[in-house]
Amino acid sequence: MIKFLPLVVRNVARNKIRSLFTCLSIAVSLFLVVMLYSFLTVQDEMTVASRVYNRLIVMNVQGLAGNVPIAYVDRIRKLDGVRSATSFSWFGGKYRDEKIVFGQFGVDPQSVADVYEDYVVPPDQLQAFQADRTGCVVGALLAKNKGWSIGDKVPLKGDIYPVNLELTVRGIYDGSSSIDREMLWFHFDYLDESLKAARSTMAGNAGIVVLRAKSAEAMNRLTEDIELAFASSDAPVKALTEKQFQAEFMSYMGDVRAFIRYTSIAIVIALLCVAANTMAMALRERTREIALFKAIGFSQANVLSLFLGEAVVIGALGGVVGCLGAKLLFATVDFSKMLPGLGWLYVPWSTALAGVALAASIGLVSGVVPAWRAAHLSVLEGLRKVV
Amino acid sequence: MVPLKYNLRSLRARKVGSLMTVLGVGMVVWASIFAFGLYAGLEHTLTVSVNPLDVIVLRQGSTAETASAVSESAARDILALPGIATDAEGRPLAAPELVAIGYLPRRDADGNTNVTVRGVVPASAALRDGLTIVEGRNFTPGVREAIVSRALSERFKGLKLGESFKVQDAMFQVVGYFQAHGAAAESEIWTDQRVLGQVTNRTGSVSAVQLRAASADDRQRLIQRITADEQIGLKAITEKEYFAEQAEQSQFLRIIGQIIAFFLTIGAMFAVANTMYGAVASRAREIGTLRALGFGRASVLASFLFESLVLCLLGAIVGCLGALALGDIRTGTMGGAFTEVVFAFNFGPRVLLSGALLAIAMGLLGGLAPAVRAVRMRVVNALREV
Repeated sequence: MIKFLPLVVRNVARNKIRSLFTCLSIAVSLFLVVMLYSFLTVQDEMTVASRVYNRLIVMNVQGLAGNVPIAYVDRIRKLDGVRSATSFSWFGGKYRDEKIVFGQFGVDPQSVADVYEDYVVPPDQLQAFQADRTGCVVGALLAKNKGWSIGDKVPLKGDIYPVNLELTVRGIYDGSSSIDREMLWFHFDYLDESLKAARSTMAGNAGIVVLRAKSAEAMNRLTEDIELAFASSDAPVKALTEKQFQAEFMSYMGDVRAFIRYTSIAIVIALLCVAANTMAMALRERTREIALFKAIGFSQANVLSLFLGEAVVIGALGGVVGCLGAKLLFATVDFSKMLPGLGWLYVPWSTALAGVALAASIGLVSGVVPAWRAAHLSVLEGLRKVV
Repeated sequence: MVPLKYNLRSLRARKVGSLMTVLGVGMVVWASIFAFGLYAGLEHTLTVSVNPLDVIVLRQGSTAETASAVSESAARDILALPGIATDAEGRPLAAPELVAIGYLPRRDADGNTNVTVRGVVPASAALRDGLTIVEGRNFTPGVREAIVSRALSERFKGLKLGESFKVQDAMFQVVGYFQAHGAAAESEIWTDQRVLGQVTNRTGSVSAVQLRAASADDRQRLIQRITADEQIGLKAITEKEYFAEQAEQSQFLRIIGQIIAFFLTIGAMFAVANTMYGAVASRAREIGTLRALGFGRASVLASFLFESLVLCLLGAIVGCLGALALGDIRTGTMGGAFTEVVFAFNFGPRVLLSGALLAIAMGLLGGLAPAVRAVRMRVVNALREV
């Protein structure tokens, strides 16, 4: 097999334009597939990466739109096995004229840094945030996109809530690419006091409570304890792991995941046609040559592997260019400005390499029929044929 | 001009190659139409049968009804304003409505999702053009009964005729299906406003007031009057603007569709170019003969571009038929109000046409370089080729 490799490479390079175009066709299409799939895999990766922090999310049994009284935060903190807990109240205000709302959450400034230990805030900035009732901490990506630095004012116009917030950036958190670096945290009390001043009935709602358990073992027990503790209250709650919460959120998104899969399948079928066509053209051109190969003693298996090898090389080349290209592009260029809310998107190695493997398989499958026909070519017929 | 029949027969002579290209282009067109159809469907739902005279009154600053509140006294004042259209019996076409969020289990998948539950008054149905009960009956005022669209009943448990579902702690029974031409109302559960108010502990205020102005001038006057009153802190916008804002929240669906179409079209262009290069290479003698017969360069160029175009248009037909064969697929996603919007993919003329335009772009751009090569051949050499 290996000794045929130079022959395979030469065959690939023979009709340079055709091989190049086939590779490019595969590369461009797989670039897209890898990007779409990264959307799915990164979300999964984020939840897997956060598992070590033993966080639970407590929400109303009626879902995210339900109410969780702020008093629950203290009651949850006192439960056995809870290390720290914070409210996490979605504000959803408008920043300037922007249509797309970024994540703004009313938190407990004393606990939030411990609950989200992987979201790193420099200690002096954290202190400044805790000291300023109208202060906020923003994610590094968000700060970059909006051009904020420490001390900048961030006015947020209430949409869900009938109050506006005048915030000042006191800290910027950062961390690995598997955390959400596009959030804004502010003092829950600031929102709540504003609501009380406006005599709004919406005051006192923690939204959800995020807690950090002391250990992984404590989590299972806590889930039950929390649900039991509030079962007969006005606002019964359920406790979810971050993974369950993610699934809950995906359910809100509807069928997006399925659509990404359908689209990818269509692209793969299209590429199979494209690659098969290329190999069929190669076969047609080389009919005489193959007959000659066979005449001088190449076995059917030899010819078969020659053709299959060529198809795989072309597919894999396209895959390497497209998938690694996507990886490289996302690693070097910052798309968070162009794709608001998708700043977390990057191409994981696993997805990029799976893309390359997919491309090689597309090559392999597309080569099967032409290769089989080449292997079973009648020597006499082939030699007689004038192209 | 080279006869078009020449190209069609050439395509037929290379059956497998042509077929593969057509299929490849077809899948690409299909995938693009699928992506376009998603956003177009959502947009259609939010814009269909919106009456230009309709106005919605919300709390100042809120963009969705779910986050809005209008006190009952303010709502009463609005209903008494001059310039509101009236129905046959002379009652104003204005409805104070209460919107709550239900949390219902999906029928075909795991998990629960937010669904809009709308507490309505008799005028509400008249404000939605074309809303009719198609099966069962309307809910009885004062009773925990509800009507839903058939589309919604298929997506959530407890929403089939005769079944019951829960809003907070109260059980409601579904007594009828309504239909509203695929409009946004079909993503909602409708029940009596007062009953919903009691169940959700929201008495004394409603979420929004829907009303129809008697004329375009009245509409402007009403909007100005309501928005100008700073005491009540409300804003009035046309229903059209309201839904445009909702659609804005799902802009990313449109952007993703365009990104998909862009990359796939480029990918397909290379594939078409390959096929056409193959066609030109294997027909060198024919091209030489054509030229020798007196067909000019322009004719040969046009001929090959035409051939490439035919390939891609056949692909477009495959893609469009493939999309149409999917039929009426219904889906849903989270809308601007944080509740599920149910809609059907829209494979209307505009969407199919954009698919066809992509195919034309593939055909022309992909076929150009090979066609130029055909033209550049020297007649003498071409005739000498085997």
